[in-house]
Amino acid sequence: MSDLADTQLVPPSSVVLVSGGSRGLGLAIVTDLLDHGVRVAAFARTVTPELEKLAAEHPDRVHVGSVDVTDLRAAQGFVREVEQRLGPIDGIVNNAAVGQDSLHVHTSTDDIARIIETNLTAPLQLTRLVIRRMLGKGLRGRIVNITSICAQRGFPGLVAYSATKGGMDAATRSLARELGGRMLVNAVAPGFFASEMSAVLGPTQLDQIVRRTPTGHLTEPVEVVPVVRMLLREHTNINGQVIVVDGAASI
Amino acid sequence: MNELSRAQIRDLMAQVLKNQDKELPADDGAQLREIGFRSLDFSELALRVEDETGEELNFDAPGLRRIATVSDVLDFLVELQQQ
Repeated sequence: MSDLADTQLVPPSSVVLVSGGSRGLGLAIVTDLLDHGVRVAAFARTVTPELEKLAAEHPDRVHVGSVDVTDLRAAQGFVREVEQRLGPIDGIVNNAAVGQDSLHVHTSTDDIARIIETNLTAPLQLTRLVIRRMLGKGLRGRIVNITSICAQRGFPGLVAYSATKGGMDAATRSLARELGGRMLVNAVAPGFFASEMSAVLGPTQLDQIVRRTPTGHLTEPVEVVPVVRMLLREHTNINGQVIVVDGAASI
Repeated sequence: MNELSRAQIRDLMAQVLKNQDKELPADDGAQLREIGFRSLDFSELALRVEDETGEELNFDAPGLRRIATVSDVLDFLVELQQQ
């Protein structure tokens, strides 16, 4: 069998599945893709009023559901629903994740297992599921993994979380190779947001990060969504990369 | 659960400091920064309490950020044992 690369272009994604799409960056990604005419399927453990509102505003282009990303059977059911309502999925954004805020020695073994299951095992399984559907239909597609600057730089209180994000960065590279150009696989690694999971750092550490950031501010979701959209929609030949969006705080 | 008293935890805290040639002052209002008791020293103390009680003490970081005095350390660990 030949391993020669496939030279056909991967078209822009037209039906995108976003995990963890009910709030924060996930909701911003869903909103942005809808604004740009994409059909979007989004799930989260809890469907928020904001996501419900989007679904009501775009009934023909949105499908939402309450799915725990660690529940593979529920995810399979959701994917089938999406295919029936919106058409075959040709893009996925692995965004669902749980944070951490505890020193490794004081984190329970149950919590470590839960973080790994949610942030690493579940997205790998969801990606496998969607890739199988795409390959089986002869589709080309795009995969964007939302990782974190934590995968590349060390921060106290985020050991297991960082390990999962590093794992997803590594999987991004190997999957890009494995899929031989039939799918573009990339990761976007935001710096710390001012809200949500960045509460883990506390004001002193966040102030330090701001001082060390040439752009002078923490990353906002609105600064990340154009990069995600580019990876899903533009012809760029970017593949197997981790794009850091942190205002150069980490360089 | 075999809980340690506040006084027993205080003794363990004194041992942690003594190993670093530091002394635990008599005043529980003493600031940790002034006596050189850092976050990893707190972890060491918590693990020593675990050793004595045989129970893991797991906790998130935000609670630690409020700890500033010797009294705060003792209160935190006493309460943690009761959870």
